Amino acid sequence: MEIVKIIGIGIITILCVIIIKPIKPEIAIIVGVCGGILILSQIINYIFDIITTFTNIVEKTGLNVGLLKIVLKIVGIGYLTEFSANLCADSGNSSVGDKIIFAGKILILYISLPIVTNIIEIIMELLP
Amino acid sequence: MGVEIIFKITAVGILTAVVGQVLKQTGKEEIATFSTLSGLIIVLLMVLDLIGTLFDTVKNLFGF
Repeated sequence: MEIVKIIGIGIITILCVIIIKPIKPEIAIIVGVCGGILILSQIINYIFDIITTFTNIVEKTGLNVGLLKIVLKIVGIGYLTEFSANLCADSGNSSVGDKIIFAGKILILYISLPIVTNIIEIIMELLP
Repeated sequence: MGVEIIFKITAVGILTAVVGQVLKQTGKEEIATFSTLSGLIIVLLMVLDLIGTLFDTVKNLFGF
């Protein structure tokens, strides 16, 4: 049922943006940001539950918790870059958004370096 | 933290636009620009703490 509330918030934000766009375009962008944040605040509990169940699963199966931390960080970076890139695209200058996306990719690659080195070490051990 | 913040921001935006127009008609150009600027700053301050909470929640959630 929460989806109905989220859709309601989205429609209200769109209406306010359309109302205020001709009058004051800069405030329309801010209203868009506000709507996005409100929608996210609705689903925070669900994300939290998902993450706690994942950490329990990882602890039970004895996997390396560090890997899960890296994956969570990557998901967080992905979400933030996508949020701001769409915001830049909405406001018209999508070139800034593309730069943010590029920086996000580099950061994700940087963060996942330990995993890559980990895999290569494992492979080296397998080979004679 | 519901939808009323969106209505508040839209209301402030429309009010600043109206005040700016009225001031412009009565010939007070500088005060019109100041009023539109202050309206914009008020809206920015409103959104500032929202964006702050967004970054805090993402930081706690994804373990940055």
